Amino acid sequence: MPILEAQNLHKSYRQGKTTTDAVRGVSLTLNSGEILAFLGPNGAGKTTSIKMIAGLVRPDDGWVKLDGLDPHKKSRALKSIGAVLEGNRNLYWRLTPLENLEYFGVLRGLSRKVARQRGEEWLQRLGLVDKRKVTVQTLSRGMQQKVAIAVALIHRPKLLLLDEPTLGLDVEATQTVKTVVREIAASGCAILLTTHQLDIAEDLSDRVAIIRQGQVIAEQPTRELIRQFSGTSYNIELEETPDPETLLRLEHVGATAKANHIFVRGSEQLYDVLEKLRPLAIQEIKKDTADLTEVFLKLVQDT
Amino acid sequence: MLALFLAEVRRSWIQFIRYPSEAIIGVFISTITFYFLFTGASYVAGPSGSLATADGAERLDVLVIGYVLWLLMLFVLSEATNSLEGEAKTGTLEQIFLSPHSAVTVFLLRALAGMAIRLLLIAVNLGLILLITGSNLAFPPLLVLPLVTMLMAAYGFAFVLAGLVLLFKQVRQVLGGLQFGLLLLIGAPVENFSGVAKVMALMAPMTPSAGLLRDLMARSEGLDWGMLAIALANGVVYLALGFFCFSRAERMAKQRGLLSGY
Ligand SMILES: Nc1ncnc2c1ncn2[C@@H]1O[C@H](COP(=O)(O)OP(=O)(O)O)[C@@H](O)[C@H]1O
Ligand SMILES: [Mg+2]
Repeated sequence: MPILEAQNLHKSYRQGKTTTDAVRGVSLTLNSGEILAFLGPNGAGKTTSIKMIAGLVRPDDGWVKLDGLDPHKKSRALKSIGAVLEGNRNLYWRLTPLENLEYFGVLRGLSRKVARQRGEEWLQRLGLVDKRKVTVQTLSRGMQQKVAIAVALIHRPKLLLLDEPTLGLDVEATQTVKTVVREIAASGCAILLTTHQLDIAEDLSDRVAIIRQGQVIAEQPTRELIRQFSGTSYNIELEETPDPETLLRLEHVGATAKANHIFVRGSEQLYDVLEKLRPLAIQEIKKDTADLTEVFLKLVQDT
Repeated sequence: MLALFLAEVRRSWIQFIRYPSEAIIGVFISTITFYFLFTGASYVAGPSGSLATADGAERLDVLVIGYVLWLLMLFVLSEATNSLEGEAKTGTLEQIFLSPHSAVTVFLLRALAGMAIRLLLIAVNLGLILLITGSNLAFPPLLVLPLVTMLMAAYGFAFVLAGLVLLFKQVRQVLGGLQFGLLLLIGAPVENFSGVAKVMALMAPMTPSAGLLRDLMARSEGLDWGMLAIALANGVVYLALGFFCFSRAERMAKQRGLLSGY
């Protein structure tokens, strides 16, 4: 059974006379250990979707199942999720990291002893042991975010929701958050994260769902999405510029050359071209891959 | 449940004591404020300036009790709304709604934890004031009962306000307006009323409990059990009303996507 199943979620907000259709029929499935990146421009409905999954916003239509239970009907379902929501640090500023971990552990149903023990483990793991006496208020944003993630995981949920987890973090902190996310997924927790930083989605996710104006317009394994949108052309770099005779032969099979760089349009021609190049020394053959940024822009800009 | 209550006590206490100078200044200021209010009041209380008469002393004690109760109620209401407003900003509010406990349970335990600490501080406060002014209030153990019924009604109010915070984020203005109303509710001399006025006063939130406390503490009268039953019913009704309004507000907030952020 999947950890998360969301089916046909809809949500409209009414504010005075205007109605915003924030989410229009989003469906998602997530299995343990999987990382799904939820990608979309501002206002696309990512946060609203995540909050519906977490039971914080009631859907107008559709349903959510967390490990088989509907969080809008059974509060027990909430035991299987942890969440760090957008823009917030979900911590008590006057408490130390350990005090926060202990408090939220008990709030999530652990005994004080277990909460404390796990809190200590998290401090070790996040390299925050030397900050044990310091209030959260005085920690850097990156450290706060690490503690926030630990707080969300203190009760060992099966699903972790992260809304823009690296927003406003510096390079180093981003790196740590990435590492932590990978480790958590490796230990079997399913992760749903939203981000506008595409490189992060590309680095972290197994699967990407692209959302635009409240609808998922593409959902695929990350590698496949990239492959699909990658060109089929190749770049061949030679160690030296080929002689005019070879160049002529290359043009014959449909390749174009510029000094020691040869461009091949399709994979069908690749071996013909290589045949003609023999016995010249090849420096590098590279497939022209799109990165997720390009895929994202293409999909989001279409129509 | 007990574990959560203890965790709430620890959390509140740490937050209060983390910056001890701030905590001490808080207690100091409320004591000083009271001291000046008190000296001012005693000037008004006796036109002849004589506090020596039994009547003057009683009036003074009634004022003392009224003020302390008023402070307590203000604390209950402002604590509930301020902390909720703050938590909506930092995002801890959402974490409470993510816990498997119902929000009403968590907030009630919080209220109790906060109250335990506050009562301790008020005891210090009162002790200081009695020391300075030499007022002699009675502290029969039975006074706990009307105090509890009064707090029940007060928390009913607090839950209504908390519901409003969920929906509107800011209720500072409402709270400001309420201060004066509270003074009336707590100060209304219900024990001297009769007829329709009396019935109204008995139904008003907190009023019967406040009357009982005055009788017990300033007039050293015994506890009127009939009156206590009324005060209890009063407390239960207002608390239930508070729970009801809060749950409704929670549902509306989830419907409109208002739990923090927006
Ligand atoms: N509580 C709310 N009330 C009214 N409109 C909202 C509310 N929450 C979100 N919206 C609107 O719904 C749309 C989707 O918002 P959101 O889910 O936050 O998108 P994202 O997280 O992808 O940026 C936006 O147009 C936003 O303005
Ligand atoms: Mg968002």
